[in-house]
Amino acid sequence: MRWSRSTSVLRQIAAWLAVGVFFFPIFFWVTTAFKPAYEIFNQPPSVWTFDVTLRNFEEVFGISLGFLRQQEVLPGGGNFYMAPRLLDSLIVGLFSTALAVAVATLAAYALSRMAFRGRHHFVNWVLSTRMMPPVAVAIPMFFIFRDTGLMDTHLGLILVHALMNLPLAVLLMKSFFDDIPAEIDESALIDGASRWLIFRRIVLPMAKGGIAATAVLCFIFSWTEFLFALTLTQTSLKTVPVVSSTFVTSTGTAWGNMAALGAVAMVPAFIFILLVQRHLVRGLTLGSLKQ
Amino acid sequence: MRDHDRKLFLASLTDRYVKRQIDRRSFLRSAGQLGLGLGAFGLGVTRPFGGHFTPVAHAQDLRPDPDVLAWVREVSKPFAGTTLKLATESTPPSNALNSQLKQYFEEASGIKVEIEVLPLEQVLQKLTLDIASQLGTYDLYYIDQSWAASVSRDVFDPREQYAAKPDLAMPNWNIDDFLPALVDGICVYEDRWVGVPYDIPIFIMMYRRDIYEQLGMSAPTTFEEYLRQAQRISAETDLYGATGQMKSGHYSLECDWTAWLWGHGGSIFNADRKFSGNDELGLEAMAYWDQLYKTMPPGVTTWTWDGQGQSIAQGVAATMMSWGEFFPYFDDPSATKVSGLMEAVRCPAPVRSLRTVEETGFGEIPGVGHQGGSSLAVSMNSKAPDAAWIFMQWVTCQDTQVLITTLGGGTGPTRNSVYDDPRVIANNRVGPGTTRHLNVVRETIAKDMGSEPDLPEWAELSNDTIPVRLGKYFAGDYGSAKEAMDDIAKAVDGIVRS
Amino acid sequence: MAAVTPHRRWFLSDHPAPWLLPLVAILVVFAIYPLIYNVWLSFHEYASFRRRVEYVGWANWIQLFNDPRMWSSLTVTFIYFFAALALQLVLGMALALLLDADEPGFGLLRGLLTLTLVIPPAVTGMMFLLMEDPQFGVLSWLLNAVGLLTPATPILATPSLALAGVLLADVWQWTPFMVLIFLAGLRGLPPEPYEAAMLDGASWWTVFTRITLPMMAKVIAVAVLIRGIDLFRVFDYIFVMTSGGPGEATYTLSLYAWQQTFSFIKWGYGATLSLLMLVIVLVMANLFIWLAKVRW
Repeated sequence: MRWSRSTSVLRQIAAWLAVGVFFFPIFFWVTTAFKPAYEIFNQPPSVWTFDVTLRNFEEVFGISLGFLRQQEVLPGGGNFYMAPRLLDSLIVGLFSTALAVAVATLAAYALSRMAFRGRHHFVNWVLSTRMMPPVAVAIPMFFIFRDTGLMDTHLGLILVHALMNLPLAVLLMKSFFDDIPAEIDESALIDGASRWLIFRRIVLPMAKGGIAATAVLCFIFSWTEFLFALTLTQTSLKTVPVVSSTFVTSTGTAWGNMAALGAVAMVPAFIFILLVQRHLVRGLTLGSLKQ
Repeated sequence: MRDHDRKLFLASLTDRYVKRQIDRRSFLRSAGQLGLGLGAFGLGVTRPFGGHFTPVAHAQDLRPDPDVLAWVREVSKPFAGTTLKLATESTPPSNALNSQLKQYFEEASGIKVEIEVLPLEQVLQKLTLDIASQLGTYDLYYIDQSWAASVSRDVFDPREQYAAKPDLAMPNWNIDDFLPALVDGICVYEDRWVGVPYDIPIFIMMYRRDIYEQLGMSAPTTFEEYLRQAQRISAETDLYGATGQMKSGHYSLECDWTAWLWGHGGSIFNADRKFSGNDELGLEAMAYWDQLYKTMPPGVTTWTWDGQGQSIAQGVAATMMSWGEFFPYFDDPSATKVSGLMEAVRCPAPVRSLRTVEETGFGEIPGVGHQGGSSLAVSMNSKAPDAAWIFMQWVTCQDTQVLITTLGGGTGPTRNSVYDDPRVIANNRVGPGTTRHLNVVRETIAKDMGSEPDLPEWAELSNDTIPVRLGKYFAGDYGSAKEAMDDIAKAVDGIVRS
Repeated sequence: MAAVTPHRRWFLSDHPAPWLLPLVAILVVFAIYPLIYNVWLSFHEYASFRRRVEYVGWANWIQLFNDPRMWSSLTVTFIYFFAALALQLVLGMALALLLDADEPGFGLLRGLLTLTLVIPPAVTGMMFLLMEDPQFGVLSWLLNAVGLLTPATPILATPSLALAGVLLADVWQWTPFMVLIFLAGLRGLPPEPYEAAMLDGASWWTVFTRITLPMMAKVIAVAVLIRGIDLFRVFDYIFVMTSGGPGEATYTLSLYAWQQTFSFIKWGYGATLSLLMLVIVLVMANLFIWLAKVRW
């Protein structure tokens, strides 16, 4: 559709305003990370101007930001030293994503290319595994993990997060494969190539963007998951959402520190999103556009 | 006020003081209003949360006693290499222990200590799951007094441990030093000790001295006077007269309720073990609470202790009858606007004489000073109960508790001797981590302490049944207080019976 | 056809089994087993006095239907579910239409919008808790300033507003997810119908209702399905912001199940509540898949 110049300008303004409204809480949260306590509770709330401190970051990441340093940071950090927790989150996020994407890609290829009886119902069944309330999964998982020694390990959480992401990953990958014409496979089959060869050499490279998009979504869901990470870990690892709740102490909530961790934790996931945004915007229809 | 202006003002203030234009008292008061308590001079900006501010007592005094560490070294030899785990609420003592003190123990003993610091609800979740699954992940349990009954059979009785293992017993650990009221209120269930008292947040009266001076009032001595003062403050100043922790469905709301209930001579249970919050005295307490509620900021019904403390710290409300644990935090000029302006006294006297323990059920102890203490105990599922027992003795011994009190920001000690320790008394001045409220805490424990009933269902009653319905009441969902309390009675009796 | 070793024959054939095997294996261990376990649990209850799980017959199921708390939380869950879904659909569609342009700056806007997705819901709950605080919150202050709210009204403690206060966090976080899905759909639409409509001089609204919506029907259906499944289990926001309060105004089934399971160690009843939720979602989802003619 063609837009007149004035509507185009109006649209620009409306779009910036709308996104601005959505962006405001993030802006506010990130600035909270730079505020000392008295600014966080200022009345009326300080939005644009406030005293700046890097203290929250120093405490959370156990670093001294030299020239602005206000106080000695303890070696090994205080109670709010969370830097290692970012690493835990990253390990769980990356490996669970890899596992989910690998398994989902294999399955999605079959679901996209091979007609078999009950395929529709099979996909429905896969999707239905996401319908289980997390509480209901957490208790049996707790006992399985207790008996297998997976409790409080990275591997355990990786498995559960992968499981949690599988249904969506399968649907997504299937839709990306559906976008690739099946004729390519068929002509290769006639040339004598095996399914496996076609999958690895032809289809997979063509679906790279889709894989990236799927991976990013899986990563985000793992990065932000709370209940499993809380129940299935103890002291040897903790993810960012779980440690975020430890800023709530019996004598008040350390909002500044919580925001500092939150602000930094946004960065990796957001970079991934930006990298694959193009593919996300193409593939998230989950195959519903094909006829 | 910006930092620069503050410094300028302070400079001129100091100048006037040096030139004798103002007296010491008003100098200190003004400096306090500037957010610069005495202790803050020369110490830079400090904070309460991180657990690593510089206390006033000299740093070299704030190290564990070498004799104690020598004992730890000696007795731990067979257990070197063991790892101990403990899940605890994020309280000042636990934070001090975790970030500063445990390293001394680890170094001396060769035992590694992992402390999982969590919000209260999550500690309960971890603990119950550990007990139910008999997993033994945690060697030590941090037990809030409201859970004591439910976990009593899953932990060792420290008296038995002390007697059974003479070779592991710490010399002069002195179990009789724990304040008897706390042992009774926090630990004892039926005939067992569920650990030893570990920390003690307790309701005391805290108020803004400057506002009280301005209105020519003195600290309230009766409930009635307190209400009138709160109403006056709300009417005549910009501040709210009182504040609260009244979030629906949260344990804190139940804590506030008991203070008013007990203070009016009521009790949660009667001698027949039936809910009695709906009797005449219970309803009188509700009527009082209703009036006091009108003097509180509109946010109270969304706040737990967190928002309640903040409302004092940021100068929104002028008085609070709540956890004494907050007091040292209020004195911290980097986090609050009221450093040096708060005073602590005992809670006002109850309206009529309190019910006795015999007149209540389940060992409930009526008293205006609601205690929210917790105990520390070794889990029976622990795979290293001996190492855990050594750690537990070290954590709760006098020397360590002195360090926890000073480094942990003036939190309330559970041992009698700690209150008299010179290192604790040295922090009796305005500033972060102050201990100037501890005399009031000590007196409150001895004279005013109120303690919740001990029954296995109490965790559910106090965290859900009661506060959900009280929340409904303050949201206006009941026609009257009577209707609300009758509904609570029905629900509570139903749960207790089944 | 080239000769193949026998073990590769399966990959050669068009049989889907080897491709689906890893998926099925994981789902059986991590999804089917928990399901069976929960069914088993729902006929048992943890007896805290004896420290073991004991058989209780149908007691949990009978209790379920005589439990006023269950009915009230079910109602709240449904209200939350439909309100959140409707808001996210409408807002998501509006924003997607607005942002579906190739002019400079729109790529950046789409990127900024997705930022909400990378924040853990538990943290989002804390963010909004602070912003909606009646005393210190920026949002309450704004609403007071424009006169929409009196300072005496705490959003999260007023029965009529609390659910809206929680919904706000959910809508804020997940509307961009809807936008992503809808943008994907809009970008995949063929241009021809639009060109024809332009020639006819159809209005913007006509184009939207007669062309865009019908063509987007399947995309919308999938969005409803994916989002709906997650929405029914909503937990983090309510847990953090209101604990279900005031009273039971925001008390949902998932919070109920969580509390029964973890706070009060009533595993049997917790499992029963979870199964109830599962059955409701299964029925609704399958009904929806059938009605909306979604084919995978």
